[in-house]
Formats: sequence, structure tokens, C-alpha cells
Amino acid sequence: MTTRDLGLVALMAAVIVALGAVPAIPLAGGVPITLQSMGVMLAGLVLGPRRGAATVLVVIALVALGLPVLSGGRGGLAVFVGPTAGFLFGWVLAAFVTGFLAQVLEATEKSTLVRTAQLTLAAIAGGIVVLYLCGILWLAFFVKMGLAKAFMVSLPFVPGDLAKAIVAALVTVKVRQAVAIERR
Amino acid sequence: MSDTSPERAGGADGADRDALAQTIVFSGVSVVRDGRTALDRLSIGFEETRIGIVGLNGSGKSTLLKCIIGLVKPTAGTITVDGRDAVGEARAVRRSTGFLFQDPDNQIVMPLVGEDLAFGLKNHGFSKAEIGARVDAALTRLAIGHLADRRIHELSGGEKQLVALAGVLALTPKTVLFDEPTAHLDLKNRNRLRDVLHAMPEQAIVVSHDLDLLADFPRVVLIEAGRIVHDGPAAETLARHREASR
Amino acid sequence: MIAALARPGTSALHRTPAAPKLLGLAVAATALFFVDHHGLLAAAFVAALAVARSTGASFAAIGRDLRGPAVVLAVLGLADWVMVDRATAVTVVLRLGAIALLAHAVTVTTSTAELGEVLERLFRPAERLGLLDATRAALTVTLAIRFVPLIVEEARAIREAQAARGLEGSIVALVVPLMVRVIVRSEALADAIDARGFPPEHAVSSTNERR
Repeated sequence: MTTRDLGLVALMAAVIVALGAVPAIPLAGGVPITLQSMGVMLAGLVLGPRRGAATVLVVIALVALGLPVLSGGRGGLAVFVGPTAGFLFGWVLAAFVTGFLAQVLEATEKSTLVRTAQLTLAAIAGGIVVLYLCGILWLAFFVKMGLAKAFMVSLPFVPGDLAKAIVAALVTVKVRQAVAIERR
Repeated sequence: MSDTSPERAGGADGADRDALAQTIVFSGVSVVRDGRTALDRLSIGFEETRIGIVGLNGSGKSTLLKCIIGLVKPTAGTITVDGRDAVGEARAVRRSTGFLFQDPDNQIVMPLVGEDLAFGLKNHGFSKAEIGARVDAALTRLAIGHLADRRIHELSGGEKQLVALAGVLALTPKTVLFDEPTAHLDLKNRNRLRDVLHAMPEQAIVVSHDLDLLADFPRVVLIEAGRIVHDGPAAETLARHREASR
Repeated sequence: MIAALARPGTSALHRTPAAPKLLGLAVAATALFFVDHHGLLAAAFVAALAVARSTGASFAAIGRDLRGPAVVLAVLGLADWVMVDRATAVTVVLRLGAIALLAHAVTVTTSTAELGEVLERLFRPAERLGLLDATRAALTVTLAIRFVPLIVEEARAIREAQAARGLEGSIVALVVPLMVRVIVRSEALADAIDARGFPPEHAVSSTNERR
């Protein structure tokens, strides 16, 4: 890791924390959505698989240190054994898979629309499919909720996360038009 | 203002200064980045205690400054600082040559003032006791001892700039490179930084758009498109710069 | 938000080094997961409350700091009550509540610098396995702590500027400039870190060289 990577990862981790402080938007059914998980998608989409995953690891280290960095001011080791821990650990894999697919899928010579679609797909695969798999398995087996119930309680968050995947892809295309940055 | 001797320029003792000043030599240095030539076969030496560098945006001023401590590696040519190669012996050069960046927010890396001042000292292998003493000395020197336990994000822009400078001075460098040090400061803080700069016994190379800051420097260099176009006392170079930028 | 960090004090916990506190917390949190007995869990909850109080924080202050986790816990308890049964709900709320209180006690009695040092030590085994560079990893985490308030501030400034242009609701108009600034800043930040002699002398190895 170069010093530039180190700075980029630290600053992106700070962005993810800052996005958790942006007030949550209450969705239909009272499910709150925050921008924090969009930050995880962005880490993968903009920085790439390895730096994206490193960014999430830094956020997790901040949580471990007891800092209230997660949305709603949550933090501390309690989160690691709490019911949503699977989603937290899943972020690492989510950022990696999102970044990896972005690297593979995005064809820069294509139109903005095509690129946005490709990046949205990457964000959905990593930030929703992989992430929910981790989160649901944790709920089902560690919190002993059972697979069916774990699936049911996670479902209401999907529409919000789909919207976030699209926004994250749009943001990524615009950012990469403004500054040159490789995915690593 | 017509007196441009080094003694006058800083108000400190001239003999002390010469002991501190390093000899910095650029030999045929070119820097090409992304197909753009930032420095073009530049050959120049610096050994005075006060040197100003002026030029328009994109003229290569900052690149020149960064080359001195090996942050930018030349595409061709060499830079030496007291005989040490800026790239190959970067660690030793950075030990004796501090750098004050334009935006202190990019330079301060620790959440607390005291911790940040300790950062550079830790990197250069000072003992815990020595670090404590040097942090105190640097804060006292800039009269900001009261900030020692403060959080960086609670400080004003001017205070941040002084903290960044204290972090540089804590290493007791022979030379301090200033990259647009007043760009982010209001008038009051600009004056304060000017006073600090003038009182420093260390050698200072200052890149600035703030021509008043350089007005009594014995030597100011005007750079254009990566080349030196004028090199002389402040009054002369600044007049030429003002003329050319009309 | 991140300002709810260490609070100076002189309590026994304040005087305890960071490593044993973190270890104690980890052990207590793990142990609580093997306890299902309501009486024992209630006792643990009361004990955790006493520990949190021993740091000198008032009940009001504890309540303020833990409002976020409390809401999550309440929602979870309710969900368990509705979907599983009351006993499970009581177990989960008492267990997680006790852990949250203990974690809070550790957080308010430990300084950032101490935490950073513990972190570097924790990273050492991973470094020996060749997974990471402990010094760099610890600096990355400290940098993130340093930059959170700055990024929050930057986000607010961007929001205000966009609101003036009638874009206050737009997430894209907020996040794009925020990300662009971060990428540009990372370059200057890296230069400054290198200029200040990082990595430390003893940690220099061939793999550490920039570019």
C-alpha cells in the first residue's frame, strides 16, 4: 500500500462515517434508510476491490475502538456480537465484490447509460446479494432466528438498497469524469 | 526597502543564519507529468537564507519545491541538498528540510495538537522524553502552548497553520520550504505568519502569490513554464513579475 | 457524533490501561452470549449500569450517548416479542443492553492515542503473517478519526452551497463533489505524510517505498 492509498482509504472511511451522520430518510413501513451502506458500495465502485475492502476494515476498526461511527451513533464491540453484525462483516466482502465486478464490467468507451447500468449491477451483486447473504446467515444462525424469519426481516431494506445502488453508480460515473482514478 | 541584505531581511543575526542555510543545487532538472512539462532543464543553486519563488499558476513553482525533498522525482537531472541526493537520500534530506503545505488540513494527521507535533518526531526515531521536550519547545516558540491538548477540528485556519508549522519546526530543520503559506489565511493571520517567517533563523524558501510577503527578500526567482526567467533582489523580480502578469 | 469520545476523569477505569479494558470487554461480551437465565442477565445488566456510572457519567449523559443503540435495541426487542416470544425478547434486550453499557464505559475512559497504540499492537500478529503493515494500518485508522469531523464539515458546506442552487434534496449533488475532493485531497495528504518522514525509521523496508 502506497502512502496515497493509505490517505485515500482513510478519507473514504471518513466519508462512510460522515454519510452515517446524514439524517436517515424514513421509508414506507417505517424502515429507515441511511446513506452509509451506499458509502460501502462507493468505496468498491470508486477505489476498487482491495482499497474498497480496506476502507471498510478501517470503519470496522473504528467500531471496535468504540467510536460511534455507525448510523444512529452505534459503535463499540457490542455491535460485533449484535444482531446486525453479519451485515457489518458482510461490508468487507460487499465492497470487495462490488469493486472487483466494477473493474471487470465497466467498459469505459461505452455510453454513460451503459456504464451506469454496469456499475449498478456490480453494486447490486456486492452491496445487496453478497451483503444480505452474510447478514441473513448471521441472523439465522447466530441470533437463532431461523432462515425464513431472517429473510423476512431483511426484505424491507431491499428497495432502499436498490435505489442506493443506482445512485452509487451515477455518482461513480460522474466522479470518474471529474478526476482520474484507477481501481485497485 | 531598498536595503536587501540578508541581515535586514529577517531581523535575526546574519552569522547564525549562514550556519543553518543548506546549499540546494538543481542540475538540468526536467519534470514531465502526464505529458506536461512542469520543469524544463532547470539549473539553479540556492544558498541564501531567504529565497522567494514567484510565477503564475502552473508555472512549476510547487513542483520545484517538492523536488527538493524528493516528493516529485525528476524525469531528468539531479537535485542535491548539501550534497545529498533528494531522491536517493530522501529520508536524510527530509530530516533537515521541513515543508509547510498550503492547506494545513492536509498536513495535520493526528486528531490532537500534541499528538500531531509528535508525528514527525516519532517518524525520525526520537525518544519519548525528547519528543515531549521538542513538542513543548515548538509550541512555546510560536506562542501556541495553550493549544497543546486541543482537537484539530476545533481550531481556526490560522491556528491550524501555526500548528502545522510547529510540527515542522519541532524537528529543528535547517531549511523550511513554504508552499503558498498565506493562501488560506485572513489578513491578521497573514501578518502573524509574516512575523514568524521574518523572525526565523532557519533558511526559508517561499513560494507565494502574496508579493508583500517577499518584498524584502534578498533574492526572488521568477519562473515561467518551468524555466527561470528572472533571478534577483525582490524589488527587481517583483516589478518584472507585476509587469509580466498585467 | 464522533465527539462523544473519551471524557477526561480520574475514575478507576480511567486509570486502567486500554488493553486490559478492551480484553475485559471482549470476554464479558462473549460470556454473556452463553447466558440465557433471566435472573443472571438482569444482574449483569445492573452490574454493567454500575460500571458505566463508575466512570463519573450521569445517567442522563449515558442515556444521551446510548440513544442510538437504545432505539435499535427497542425495535429488536419488539420484533422478537412479536415474532418469537417474550422470553427471547427479554434475553436479547438485557444481554445486548449490558454489552452496550460496558462498551460505553470503555469508550469514555480511553483516549484516541491509547486506542491507536493498542491497535498497532493488535495488528502485529497480522503483520507477521504478511497480511498488512501494522504501522501503516494504525496510521490509516488514526487518519480516519482525524478526518471525520473535517468531512462532516465539508459535507455540510457542500449541502449549503447546493441548497443555494436549489439542489438541497439531491444526493448526487452532495456525494459527487465530496468524493472528488477526497480524491484530490488524498494526493496532498500523501505528500505531507511523506514529507514528515513517514514511515518511521525502524519500520522502513523495501515494500514500504512509495511508488
